[in-house]
Amino acid sequence: MRALIAAATGLALAFALVLTISAMGSPTGRTSPRPLLTTVPSHP
Amino acid sequence: MRRKASLVLLACAVFCATLSPLMRWYAFPRLARIPANQYQDMVLEAKDATLLDYGTMQAKKVPEVTIVQTLKGDVAAAKKIEKTAGRPVVVWDSLSYVQGPDGKMVSKVPERYIFDAHTQDPVHATGEMVDGDPVTRQGIEFKWPFLTQKRDYEYFDAQTRTTSPIHYKGTRTFRGLKVYYFEQTIPWTKVPMPKTMPVQGITPETVARTGTTRWYSTVRRFWVEPVTGAPVYGEEDHKEELRGGTLLGGRASVTAFAGDVKMREDYIEHTVALVEHNRTLVLALTSYVPWGSLFLGILLLALSLFLEARSRRPRDPAPTRSAEPEPLSA
Repeated sequence: MRALIAAATGLALAFALVLTISAMGSPTGRTSPRPLLTTVPSHP
Repeated sequence: MRRKASLVLLACAVFCATLSPLMRWYAFPRLARIPANQYQDMVLEAKDATLLDYGTMQAKKVPEVTIVQTLKGDVAAAKKIEKTAGRPVVVWDSLSYVQGPDGKMVSKVPERYIFDAHTQDPVHATGEMVDGDPVTRQGIEFKWPFLTQKRDYEYFDAQTRTTSPIHYKGTRTFRGLKVYYFEQTIPWTKVPMPKTMPVQGITPETVARTGTTRWYSTVRRFWVEPVTGAPVYGEEDHKEELRGGTLLGGRASVTAFAGDVKMREDYIEHTVALVEHNRTLVLALTSYVPWGSLFLGILLLALSLFLEARSRRPRDPAPTRSAEPEPLSA
């Protein structure tokens, strides 16, 4: 019974971690203020 | 004590073993996405190119034609489209600005490209366009999907506004990176005049009235890093002609542009460094964490079982004290 509880705890923690990370996702940020270029940049 | 330790190890083992598939098949599609606010520029050059002089309507050799390509993510537009599309969307506004050796504009073609942030599938929404013409893209453009496969893909050609296969031609090594090489040939096709012409006063409508048409052909080559799906290098053998009409003074055709367009060296180095960095992040989600946690899970489970088995093993019997003879009573 105690082994079952331990396994369930590990399972729940893994789900909690992955779901939290995925829900946070990657930040979208804001549209860059830089313009679409009409001059040749000297470097990247 | 051993039993407690084996239970903790069992919990850790299940945690790691569960983390492995969850990271690969649940987290990866949700975390590996093109950022909606991406901004990227690229410089390509065509050395010893042929360019049309619109003053004399004669093709002439020029030392260099430069193409500046900018991609800029529109975050507000992406969020708006996401609400109806029901999936993560990226909206790229791009500009291909072509400049002659004298620094003057040869052409500029704006585009709006809308696609799924993870799968790279095109998303159709109002505003999708090439040079102001509404289009409905099929296939990919600019970038391949994450975990690119060794197969042909459908690739959108902005000049013809059509989609055709780009063929996988083998695996190569480019600047130390394993890349997939793709090639697409667009045969001579009649294409629209750019909305912005290099000479003031000339518009696509005035050219159309002369009966002159614009034709285009290209062989497009990409070296794509397969984990990120990002091209680390690209080349294009690009040809454009004006054909027929009164504008050419009786000639059947004149070359408007011909050149082998290649990425500028500093941009190649920058792109390779950027792709190497992003490749590590994608590999962490698809390979390092899933395989690492699976291996660790198995190891911890084995350790847990070992401790459990030891805790259950019967101990050596304690030394028995020799019983002293009890007095007998008769």
